[in-house]
Amino acid sequence: MSQEYQRVPIKSEADIVLARQGGRRLAAELGFSSTDQTLLATAISELARNVVQYAGTGEVLLSAIAIGSRRGIQVSAMDQGPGISDPELAMRDGYSTGGSLGLGLPGTRRLADDFSLVTVLGEGTTVTFKMWVR
Amino acid sequence: MKLDTLTISEDEVISRKDFLEFRDDDLKALVDAHEMAQTYAEPVIEDFYQYLLSFSHGRSFFQDPVVLARVKQAQKNYFLDLTRGDYGPEYVKNRLRIGAVHQRIGLPFQTYLGMYNWYLRNVANRFFEAYADNPGHALKLLLSLTKLVFFDVGLAMEVYLRTIEEQQEAIKELSTPVLQLREGLLILPIVGALNSARARQLTEQLLRAIASRRAKMVVMDVTGVPAVDSKVANHLVQTVAASRLMGATVIVTGLTPEVAQALVAIGVDLSSVKTAGDLQSGIEEAELLLGYRVVKVETAP
Amino acid sequence: MASIQSALTDADWMKLSADLSSQIGELRARAVVLDLTLMDVMDSFATRVLRTLAQTVTLRGAQTILVGIQPDVAIAMVQLGLAQRLDGILTALNLEHGLDMAEALV
Repeated sequence: MSQEYQRVPIKSEADIVLARQGGRRLAAELGFSSTDQTLLATAISELARNVVQYAGTGEVLLSAIAIGSRRGIQVSAMDQGPGISDPELAMRDGYSTGGSLGLGLPGTRRLADDFSLVTVLGEGTTVTFKMWVR
Repeated sequence: MKLDTLTISEDEVISRKDFLEFRDDDLKALVDAHEMAQTYAEPVIEDFYQYLLSFSHGRSFFQDPVVLARVKQAQKNYFLDLTRGDYGPEYVKNRLRIGAVHQRIGLPFQTYLGMYNWYLRNVANRFFEAYADNPGHALKLLLSLTKLVFFDVGLAMEVYLRTIEEQQEAIKELSTPVLQLREGLLILPIVGALNSARARQLTEQLLRAIASRRAKMVVMDVTGVPAVDSKVANHLVQTVAASRLMGATVIVTGLTPEVAQALVAIGVDLSSVKTAGDLQSGIEEAELLLGYRVVKVETAP
Repeated sequence: MASIQSALTDADWMKLSADLSSQIGELRARAVVLDLTLMDVMDSFATRVLRTLAQTVTLRGAQTILVGIQPDVAIAMVQLGLAQRLDGILTALNLEHGLDMAEALV
C-alpha cells in the first residue's frame, strides 16, 4: 500500500465544503465514476459535519491507497471531542443527539467499502472508511 | 482493448518487482548473460516455431509465411529484451503492447503460457550446458530469468483481465436497453440475474436516461429476472426512490402476486413501489398518468 | 422560486430557509419551486433543512417542488437513506417541469 495523504483541517462549517471538494478531486484523479465521486463527497460531508457539530474542530485525512492494481481512497475524520458514549446506538439509523436526521454514520457505513469507528470518552473519535474504484 | 488506456503506474511496477524480489543482482546476472543469449537466439527461435507449428492451434495462427517471418523476428527481439537489462517503463509498455496484440489475434492465454514455459525449459538446458562446470551459477541465472518471466506473465495477464472486464461491461449495457416508448415514457425491460454491480449500473443508466429524455414515467419490467429475492427487491426500491427524486414515477411490472407477498412477508417495504400485473397494463397505466388517452383507430374499409 | 448554488454552507441554508418562509407569507405564494440543479452533494444536513422548509411551507398552505436533483446526487441520497426523508415533497426533473407542476397546483 502506498501512503500519500492530504489533510483538511476542520474548524468551521465552511471547511466541510473544502473537505468534500478535496475528496471529490482526489476521487476524480483516481478514476472513480462520477456517481462514486458523489457518494464519497457525501460521506465526507457527513463525517466532517459530525466533527463540527460534536467536537467543534478536528481534521479530515484523505489518502490515495492501492492494493495491486486496485485504487482507492481512505478517509479519516478525527477529533479530540467528547467521544461517543454509546457507539452501537450511534450506528443505528435515525439515532441522533444533535438534532440531525441520524443518518450520517449508518449511511456512511452503508456506502463505504470498509468502515471503522474508534471512540474514547473525553478523548475523541476517529471514523475511517475506504472506497475503491469499481 | 485500446492501447492508450493500457497503463500501469510506476509505483505498481516497482511493487510488482519488489514482490517478485527482482533485485539488482538479478538484473546483473541477466545482463551478463546477454552475449550468450545472442548466440542462442537464432536456434531457439527456430526450435520454438517448430514446436509451435507441431500443434494445430499453433499452426492456425501462422499460415502466411510472410507473417511468420515477421513474427519470428519480433519474437527474437522479445526474447533478447529479457537480457538487455532495461526493465523500465519502455519495457513494460512493450510487454503490454504485445499482450494486446495476442489478445487481438485471439491467442488463448494457455497457449501464451505454454509457449513461455517451452522457452524457459529450452533456455534452462542451454544455461546448464554453458555452465556445465558451475551449475550453481546456471541455477542462479535461471531463477533470475524466471522472476522476469513471471513479471512478463503478470503484465500479459493484465491485458487479458482488463479485456474481459471491458467485455462484461459491454454485455451488461447491451442487456438492459432503456427504450423510449413515447415522449416522457421510458421502458426498462430487465432480463437476467440482478446482482449488486448490475443493479447499480442499471440505476445509473436509468437515471441518466430520465435526465436526457426528460422522462416523467418509467415502466420497469422484471418478468425476465429469474429470482426476485429481498436483495433484488431492495435494489428495485432504491431505483424507484432515486427516480422519484428526479421527478419520475416508476411502475414495476412482472412481479407475481406470490413473489410480492413473499417479499412483504420477509420485511421488504414495497409500499413506495407502484406495480402493475404485466408490461401491457403497466404501459397503459403510465400513459393514463401522462394524460395520454388510447383510442381505437378505425381502419379504412 | 429559488435557485440553490453548489457549495452552500450551513449558514447559507439557514438563511435561505428563513427568507423563503417569510416570503411565502408576504407574497401569499401557493407553490415554492426549489432548483437544486447546481447541488453536487446533498447530505443529511441539507436534507433536513429541505424537509423542515417543506413542512413550514405546508403549514403556510403552499406546496414545495424540488427540481433538478442530478442522477449522481439522487443515487447518493438513496444510498444514505435520505430519500425517504423527503417523502411527500413533490419533485420534477427540471425547472420547466417544476413550473408546469406549480401552475397546475395554483
